[in-house]
Amino acid sequence: MKKLAIIATLILSMAVVFIGCKDKRSPGSVYMPDMAYSRAYESYATRDSAIFTMDPNDAGHKIFFNNLPPAGTLKRGELYPFNVPNDSNGLLNLSSLVKNPLEPLTGKDLEEAGRLFNINCAVCHGAKGENNGPLAAKVGGVKSIIALSPTYSDGRIFFVTEYGQLNMGSYASQLSREQRWRIVQYIRTLEPKTAPATTTPAAKTDSATVAKK
Amino acid sequence: MSRYRKIFNRIFTSIFLVVLLSINNQSLAADGAALFKANCASCHKIDKDFTGPALKGWKDRVPAGDWIYKWIGNPGAQTDPYSTTLKAKWKPVVMTKFDNLKKDEVDAILKYVDDWAPPTPTAVPGGEPATDNSLLFGILTLVLALIAFILLQVNSNLRKLSDEKEGVLRPEPVPAYKNKTYLMAGILLLFAVGGYYTINGAIGMGRMQNYQPEQPIFYSHQVHAGTNQISCLYCHGGAQDSKQASIPSVNTCMNCHKSINKYEGPDKLVREDGTAVDGTAEIQKLYAYAGWNEATKTYNADKNNDGNPDGAKPIEWVKVHNLPDHVYFNHSQHVKVGKQQCQTCHGNIQQMPEVYQFSTLSMGWCINCHRDTKVDFYDKENKTGNKYYSIYEKFHKDLKSGKMDSVTVEKIGGTECQKCHY
Repeated sequence: MKKLAIIATLILSMAVVFIGCKDKRSPGSVYMPDMAYSRAYESYATRDSAIFTMDPNDAGHKIFFNNLPPAGTLKRGELYPFNVPNDSNGLLNLSSLVKNPLEPLTGKDLEEAGRLFNINCAVCHGAKGENNGPLAAKVGGVKSIIALSPTYSDGRIFFVTEYGQLNMGSYASQLSREQRWRIVQYIRTLEPKTAPATTTPAAKTDSATVAKK
Repeated sequence: MSRYRKIFNRIFTSIFLVVLLSINNQSLAADGAALFKANCASCHKIDKDFTGPALKGWKDRVPAGDWIYKWIGNPGAQTDPYSTTLKAKWKPVVMTKFDNLKKDEVDAILKYVDDWAPPTPTAVPGGEPATDNSLLFGILTLVLALIAFILLQVNSNLRKLSDEKEGVLRPEPVPAYKNKTYLMAGILLLFAVGGYYTINGAIGMGRMQNYQPEQPIFYSHQVHAGTNQISCLYCHGGAQDSKQASIPSVNTCMNCHKSINKYEGPDKLVREDGTAVDGTAEIQKLYAYAGWNEATKTYNADKNNDGNPDGAKPIEWVKVHNLPDHVYFNHSQHVKVGKQQCQTCHGNIQQMPEVYQFSTLSMGWCINCHRDTKVDFYDKENKTGNKYYSIYEKFHKDLKSGKMDSVTVEKIGGTECQKCHY
């Protein structure tokens, strides 16, 4: 009996050692899978039902959650959808009828808009909209924002962020409508005639520090 | 009586040998290299800039005298011109203070930095690097143990012979495998070594430090966030707005890869096992996931009416970092309010070809950071800092009277159980 106990202890501790040292390609084991892996569906997470499931029919499946919100729904606090159709009539005529729904930005809000611009736009368009971002040459065909925007209405700039244009993709999935309307206002401050370039927050952040965040 | 003493002596010798075997020679003396590794290496490299400046040649750059000790003791409080320029250069990162280091320890680190020479790539075929002596010491210990064992045996044999000669009768000596002393020593050894590995294994279970899963596409953060300077928040925008940092959907990749269809970057793409990766082929994989037709530069038509281009499907990226479900963690709290750099927890992502889990993500790791990190406390006089903290009346009083010099996350409840476990 005593011998058995000793052997059992040895085997158990060997098992712990064996589970503990793991290959870095595998996540290893956990003590309580039902406490470690979420039973709720986390966004963008894979739920691997080989690890944990309550439903026997589900065992061994991987479920990947990367879905759009249901059609026709609106996130709380989000602005109303941009209903201009994605065609040339929408681009050239209808978009200009949409006004920027936000109050003019000042101070911190404008700085925040500048930060978003530096993260999302400056990588191609450059921190001052001069088409000199680190990726501009690689993507190719990048337009100079400050050269074009004075001739565009707010709605038309927003149209481009909503649907994309030429080589540029849609930013509707990355930035909320409010954030994009803010960026439209920020672009206005970059234009040479409306604001002197020295007072723009963009002067603070060059493209090298953007990548750090 | 003497018999017991003999047994005691033998047990003592055995334990001594066990201890000798288990002591790692590096833990005997604290030296500059170890101190450097423990305190500095997470942010400083000696020969090149990292999170902080390269340390080589520090003597020629910093003001003479005891500036360096003051700086290491509390970098935040230094206001001399050199400190100010240094801080301005490395903004927003300010060095953590190391007031726990004594002067001689700082000296040891500095000496290590001064004496450091770049590792020369030695290409001796079959030759082992001679830097680690622990193998040699191990062999030496084993040889000594063997000699001790042989001597013990010789001793008992000689005694047996002399006993026979003198006609003294003694009980037949027990063989070695039944000898309780040896058995005891063996069990102790097994206990020590087995216990060490068992405990380490038990602690390591459920932690996934260095977990580096193979992803469906060889996506190099080094190329994107490092060389091409794309902000982390460009793809992981959720980190500033929500609990999840979020994995970008395929259309985010296609923002640039609509036009970038070849890999021509300066970085060599190499897998962990050393095999080269064809970057252009990896971009083709992305096109397959996105349902993008490279020749016509359009997405495939949506003939089956599922709202996506035909053939398109989400990329099943493998999640690297997983906190247990019983821990609440919110990215936006740390990124937006706490103004933490991504690299603080995720390591130098911009230098990782394949992402691995840099931190342990253990509770002790969280708590330690909460104890050390200062919050952006509201300064009532200058009206700077996070205004949320204006309600902490007692801390404002204590700060004014000099009772405390800064407010850490712990002070505002960052180590309360219910902050993360509820």
